[in-house]
Amino acid sequence: MIDILVPALVLSGIGFVLGLLIFVVEKYFHVEEDPHIDEVIELLPRYNCGACGHPGCREMAIALLDKKSKAAECKPIKKEALLILDEYLDNYFKNKQ
Amino acid sequence: MSELIGLAFAAFVVENIVLTQFLGICPFLGVSKKRSSALGMGIAVVFVIVLSSTITWLLYHFILDVLAITYMRTIVFILVIAALVQMVEIFLKKVSPALYKALGIYLPLITTNCAVLGVAIININEGHDFAQMLVYSTFISLGFLFVMYIFAMIREKLDFSPVPKAFKGTPIALIVAAILAMIFARFGGII
Repeated sequence: MIDILVPALVLSGIGFVLGLLIFVVEKYFHVEEDPHIDEVIELLPRYNCGACGHPGCREMAIALLDKKSKAAECKPIKKEALLILDEYLDNYFKNKQ
Repeated sequence: MSELIGLAFAAFVVENIVLTQFLGICPFLGVSKKRSSALGMGIAVVFVIVLSSTITWLLYHFILDVLAITYMRTIVFILVIAALVQMVEIFLKKVSPALYKALGIYLPLITTNCAVLGVAIININEGHDFAQMLVYSTFISLGFLFVMYIFAMIREKLDFSPVPKAFKGTPIALIVAAILAMIFARFGGII
């Protein structure tokens, strides 16, 4: 019994400490980012497939907000979702001006 | 002291992590198209290898060895390396956004660089003490940086060289890597 318990406890202990450390580092070194990025990611499929040419959906969202990419470059997005995303981006660029 | 210098030299050229031990081949071939990205990747790897070897060495000798569960080392080391890279990423994002952007996707990819886990395990297998571990991991990662940089320089030159069509791109890079490995194999006679 103890042969199983000790390694399990050690591993979960190390995992817990590392998780706590990541949490502290994240809190301490938090970087304020544009909240629009997270909203655009919500509208994307979030597969991180890379078909658009960006390394992930987060980079795609940043490129969309910088007008460096078009929403249609996202391959796996559904038609209805694409309409919502286009509308969101239109509103965003209108409000920005 | 002279023993440590010998170890440093051996780690830097004779036992070069890429060209003699064939670890960390993925970034060696993947990120060596441009000198600047090769340098950035190399520096990030030096940082992560030295830090992760130190932490895994301490964990191994003061927790795993004491509790006689040394067979757990692989899984514990992987956990430590993954968490460490995550922290380095958050840290860099705040402290140096420019470097963070330049490294891009390669920063989280260091988690899966087998050279990092390889050095941590070699340090344990060879029975290095703390000073030897520090010297060995510093110089083996500097060796990685050095080889990455010369390979990137050669590849930049190759782009403008009259290479036969069938060998353009990755094939000629692999041939160059093989010739480099043969050169480094000759260093084995020095020690």
